[in-house]
Amino acid sequence: MPSNRGTSFFADAAKTSITRRGLLKASGAGAAAIGLSSLLAACSSGGASSSGGKATVRMWSWYTEVKDTLPKVISDFEAKHPNIKIENRIFGTPDQYLPALTAAVSGGDVPEIFAPHVRAITYGEQGISADLKKELGSGFLKGFFDSTNQEYTKDGKQYALGFEAQTFGLFYDPDVLSAAGVDGEPETWDDLIDAAAKINATGKSAVSISCNPGTSALDFFLPLITQVTDDPTWYLKLDQLEKGYSYTSKPVVKALELNDKIVKAKVFQPGTTGTSGDQSQQLFYTGGAAMFFAGSWTPAGLIQNASPEFVKRYKIMKTPAIKSGARHWTADQAGAGLAVSETSKNKDAALTFLKYLYSEDVYSKLMNASSAMPSTQAAVERITDAHVKQMAGWLPDGCPHIPFGAGSSAAGDPLQKIFDQTASPAEVAKQMQSAVENAKG
Amino acid sequence: MSTSSTLRAGVRPRSRSGASLWKLQRSERMAGYGFVVPITVLFVLFVGWPIVFAVYLSFTRWSGFGSPTVIGVDNYTRMFSDPVAATAFWNTIVFALMTTLLQTVIPLIIAVLLSNVWRGLSVVVRTLLFIPGIISFVVSGVLWKLIYDPNLGTLNNLLKSIGLGAWQQHWLSDPALVMPSILVVSLWGAVGMNMLIFFAGIQGVDPTYYEAAEVDGASRWQQFWYVTVPSLRVVTAIVISLNLMNGFKVFDLIYVMTAGGPNHASEVFGTYLYSLAFGSTAGSIPQLGYGSAFSVIVMLLCGVAVLVQIVLSRRASR
Repeated sequence: MPSNRGTSFFADAAKTSITRRGLLKASGAGAAAIGLSSLLAACSSGGASSSGGKATVRMWSWYTEVKDTLPKVISDFEAKHPNIKIENRIFGTPDQYLPALTAAVSGGDVPEIFAPHVRAITYGEQGISADLKKELGSGFLKGFFDSTNQEYTKDGKQYALGFEAQTFGLFYDPDVLSAAGVDGEPETWDDLIDAAAKINATGKSAVSISCNPGTSALDFFLPLITQVTDDPTWYLKLDQLEKGYSYTSKPVVKALELNDKIVKAKVFQPGTTGTSGDQSQQLFYTGGAAMFFAGSWTPAGLIQNASPEFVKRYKIMKTPAIKSGARHWTADQAGAGLAVSETSKNKDAALTFLKYLYSEDVYSKLMNASSAMPSTQAAVERITDAHVKQMAGWLPDGCPHIPFGAGSSAAGDPLQKIFDQTASPAEVAKQMQSAVENAKG
Repeated sequence: MSTSSTLRAGVRPRSRSGASLWKLQRSERMAGYGFVVPITVLFVLFVGWPIVFAVYLSFTRWSGFGSPTVIGVDNYTRMFSDPVAATAFWNTIVFALMTTLLQTVIPLIIAVLLSNVWRGLSVVVRTLLFIPGIISFVVSGVLWKLIYDPNLGTLNNLLKSIGLGAWQQHWLSDPALVMPSILVVSLWGAVGMNMLIFFAGIQGVDPTYYEAAEVDGASRWQQFWYVTVPSLRVVTAIVISLNLMNGFKVFDLIYVMTAGGPNHASEVFGTYLYSLAFGSTAGSIPQLGYGSAFSVIVMLLCGVAVLVQIVLSRRASR
């Protein structure tokens, strides 16, 4: 007997009479359900949940360096703490991550552990992130580098922990430098300018750099202020726009003039303000540029993207100094940090996980496996990657470069005009001051 | 079963002019409401309320936490002293007008050629041109970013391989070239769909018009100008308004390709409001109030596009 399964559904449906009352009831119930579920979703005050008796800890960041290694740490932790579940979410870039964080904060549903970007202090002062000095104690924080603790501290409270420390330097391909006739590592900016002329003559760019978005340009420029002043606290005061500190101050203008001189000498590739971070790195490892200005997260990126031969070959030199014998001030701090939600009911579980994560053995293994630069003294001593170890050695010459202050990031926009040569240093200084004041509100 | 059997006994079909909500029986009204309420609830929650809230936010200073502070029209007056806002405004207008011009004229010409001259190739060409239209702008943005890459991109390498190395450019990082380069991608994505709309419109033109024009000795160009173009007025009005609206609210393509760079050279309202409210350039204080003011301006510009469509359609139907 042939199956009539295919047609029986329609036949049955035709036999079933749909009454108007039934239809009205169904549609009314549907509308109510949709409305109610939307309202519930909108009014929900916290996503912190417990599933199956477990406390859930959501962890949000854009730290792709640990995307393959952190899951192992998490599974080990969950095995030891069966009452806690960690939901790790790593976004690709800050620009992909920040909209989600902004929405979570606006909706009052902050993940238990999150990367605070440059908003650590702002969120801390607003009661969104917890004071970790109070929660974890000064003893716990003592193991971190001072620079990574200071950047998250205000009025005696610390609102985040450094996850990956960073220093900046010039990555270079020794073969390309040799081929261009550049002997040794340029010590000063003038040496770099001389080297750039030789490299440009071979048809390659001397240094690749990303100035898109404008905040990336600040990574290069802000340490120049410290080079000019020889005072690593000067930018911290400018960042907070303390009395007597402004972008039109002499040290900033002098630093802009130095930046302008470097750009005019064609040290960088054309179109820096249109070059993204991944494009500038690609320009370096594909041989388009002899050097690459970037931070200590780069070794991990090069392992993922460049050929094994290139990874073996490249070297790193310190950021050039303003004059021979001067300190090679270079940007440090921890751009990658971790904050804890103050309001989550699973805050204790989050703190438990952080204590585990930063335990000496776990943290140093994680950083080594990820070729990332640790934020703690103990883990730095156990670094195995030669490049990361070399850059960690520059931390004593580290100076602040992260615009934590209200509106400070806006200085990156006018700064781009130095890189594309559309305004003078004095004009840019005025525009930076105005942009920061405007953004500060 | 005829459709008339679905009508309830005793209820006669009403003429359109005589139909009135209050003349319907209560149960019929309720059934109508039952169908309309779900979508209305969804619309109010996910479209209406966000619009109202965005308009409110545009009169406030708000960073996404705490309570918004009402600051009157400060966000709107601030736009006049914000150089990036001026660039974004100019770029938005130029992008909308240029895409409207190019994405209307070129598809129209191709549709006419496919209907009259290239008939044998019509199916192949239509298919090839339509394919980019089914790819999302995010995907085409990434694809074209790779094509335009100054170092490894297909375009520069192609130019070099055919002896035109001097023509190699930094397509997306040169402020003078970035907007034309993006316009090409927008045109590439839109030409197929718009061509298809015009092509369908041309099929609906009464062939006797062309026969009469031929009898009168009209040339091909005269037939196009005096028969085809006037016959497509309604279709053209729709294409123009769609292009204008898409141009005013452009975001995805530019964000993926340049994020508004280099140095804001390709900044439009969509990308600027996003970076103010959500992006890393927002820094430590996201500017949701100022960003919302830009979204209100975009909404008003889209309103202008709708008005253009209404005016053009009315004129066309006269």
